[in-house]
Amino acid sequence: MRRWGRVGALRHSRLQFVLAVAAIATAVALPVVLVSVGGGVSAHELSNLENAGYQIVVSAAGVHGITDAHNYTKAILAIPGVTAASPVLSVTIDAFTPKGAVTPVLAEGIIPGQFGPTLSPAEAGLFPLPLPLGDPTDLVHWANGTYDGPATYDMLVSSPYADEYHITTGEKLVLSPVANRSLGTTYTVTGSFGVPPSVLGPTGAFAVLLPLSDLQTLTGFAGTGAVAPDAADTIQVAVTGSISTNPVALDHVRAKVQALFPYYGVSSLTQEAQQLEAATGVLTGFYLALSSVGITVGLLFLALVLLRRVEADRRSIGIRRALGIPSRTIAAEILGSGATLALVGAAVGVAAGYLIVEALSAWANAAVQEAARLAVFEPLLLAELVGGIVGLSLLAGAVATRSALRTEITEALR
Amino acid sequence: MSRAAAPLIELVQVTRTYGRGSPDEVRALRGIDLTITPGEFLSVAGPSGCGKTTLLNLLGLLDSPTSGEVRWNEEPVGHRTDRARARMRLEGVGFIFQRFYLLPTLTARENVELPMRALRVPHGERTRRAGRLLEEVGLTGREKAFPHQLSGGEEQRVAVARALANEPGLLLADEPTGELDSGNTQAILALLEKVRHDHAASLVVVTHNPEVARRAQRHITMRDGTVLQDVREA
Repeated sequence: MRRWGRVGALRHSRLQFVLAVAAIATAVALPVVLVSVGGGVSAHELSNLENAGYQIVVSAAGVHGITDAHNYTKAILAIPGVTAASPVLSVTIDAFTPKGAVTPVLAEGIIPGQFGPTLSPAEAGLFPLPLPLGDPTDLVHWANGTYDGPATYDMLVSSPYADEYHITTGEKLVLSPVANRSLGTTYTVTGSFGVPPSVLGPTGAFAVLLPLSDLQTLTGFAGTGAVAPDAADTIQVAVTGSISTNPVALDHVRAKVQALFPYYGVSSLTQEAQQLEAATGVLTGFYLALSSVGITVGLLFLALVLLRRVEADRRSIGIRRALGIPSRTIAAEILGSGATLALVGAAVGVAAGYLIVEALSAWANAAVQEAARLAVFEPLLLAELVGGIVGLSLLAGAVATRSALRTEITEALR
Repeated sequence: MSRAAAPLIELVQVTRTYGRGSPDEVRALRGIDLTITPGEFLSVAGPSGCGKTTLLNLLGLLDSPTSGEVRWNEEPVGHRTDRARARMRLEGVGFIFQRFYLLPTLTARENVELPMRALRVPHGERTRRAGRLLEEVGLTGREKAFPHQLSGGEEQRVAVARALANEPGLLLADEPTGELDSGNTQAILALLEKVRHDHAASLVVVTHNPEVARRAQRHITMRDGTVLQDVREA
């Protein structure tokens, strides 16, 4: 039998129902895209954290906030269980290629022997290890903070940068903190490294890697007279395998590192992962709150469509009530009708969200493509979203039901 | 009083006033006393606005009196809940309206099955009974037609079959031939008499049509919300 609001009724007000479904689908598609892409990116970052080659990170407020990096590195390495401590200084400088091109590049200063062990297995495959940057300890040039030791003037370039400017191993590049070649220093390219995929786009595509002390002297972060002597941005600390998998032992090492630098932030990646998870939860809630505006509009539209349907069917409702059809049957049919429309709308919305993410991963710009490819469609979350929409549709249906059941039978039959 | 003579329905000093206390107050019924026994065929006539349809609505529990009492099987029904009254309508009353009032989205068979579905009659029994009723009203082969595919006479036949679906004791017809031509009027009248006879139901017909009224055993004439005449044929 075709009942109120089902196929038969659909025949008579197809446009209204199609619009109601479209409104709800649009409202649902937005959170599906936001939550799936946001969740996917977070999951990816979380995975990166969990798979990183280091487990503890030392950081300071502001850029290049860590001073005395070489000494601190030695102190950290003396803590039992620590296998590597890698200070990293990141500064944007200008690079002058042999063919005269000048381009800004991200220069990272590292201690060659310490950098490799703090790479994740995936990252390690992108680098020629051990790094061909001369002195693996970077202590010769640093020379106890005097920077009087002989520098190697070796550097590695990222393969996208090398490809773009046809740079090969053995060529010489001039690096300068300002756009003036005459103020620069000449380095020899001793190899190249791959760029790990990043959801933030190819930020590491144009990058160079050189010994920490070299970058410090090049950029003015070396020596006692510098604003930030022996500066670094972070120090990444790797521990032994048994400690890395034991949260208590890891926290013990973290506390020992923290004791060395009470004024710097020292956190384990476990903590960072927890913070990221918490931030992801907040973001998901924010996405859903943002989407609730659209969902509210969609449900209001649904309520209006159902009310309009009740108005149009007032006589049919009166006839049914006159015949003795129980009010609860009529109410159930109206509520069922609203829930069916909401379910169809939500299902279409989920499908539309999926297709939008697929389209973004195929045709958007590189960074968006990368993010869209990481999208994760959590069946439970989607089911909760659809269930929530269907549940809320009962509220929209209740308005129409109330109107239907207040219909005076004798009035409806006039 | 013998069991056979027990009244099916009684109205005792029933009044019905619309818009009470307002300037537009309408006193549709003014103290009606009426008793209907099982199997009776009554016609109710009178000028427009005399209260015929209001009377029918009260008999069918579609409306409640402003004062007075309505009794079914000697039980007052005034205190019954809406749900209980709906149940009584479903089980005990068959309505036939002037404008048929079939549900446009249902087929002829589905319209007939509608009251049975509400009473949770099993599917097989429902289908069998709907088929038999449609056959009884001469609509075999038209079961799957929608109301807009039926003629006026056919629609009213479906309405008669629907009114009989739950085998009610009381059939209420409000101008059942008002929108039919003379041929269909005759057919519907013959049908109503036949079903009243076959189903042993009381039949109350509100009509302006003297030909319809002539077939009844009892003739009630109303005016200004009162019963002017109540004549039983010998």
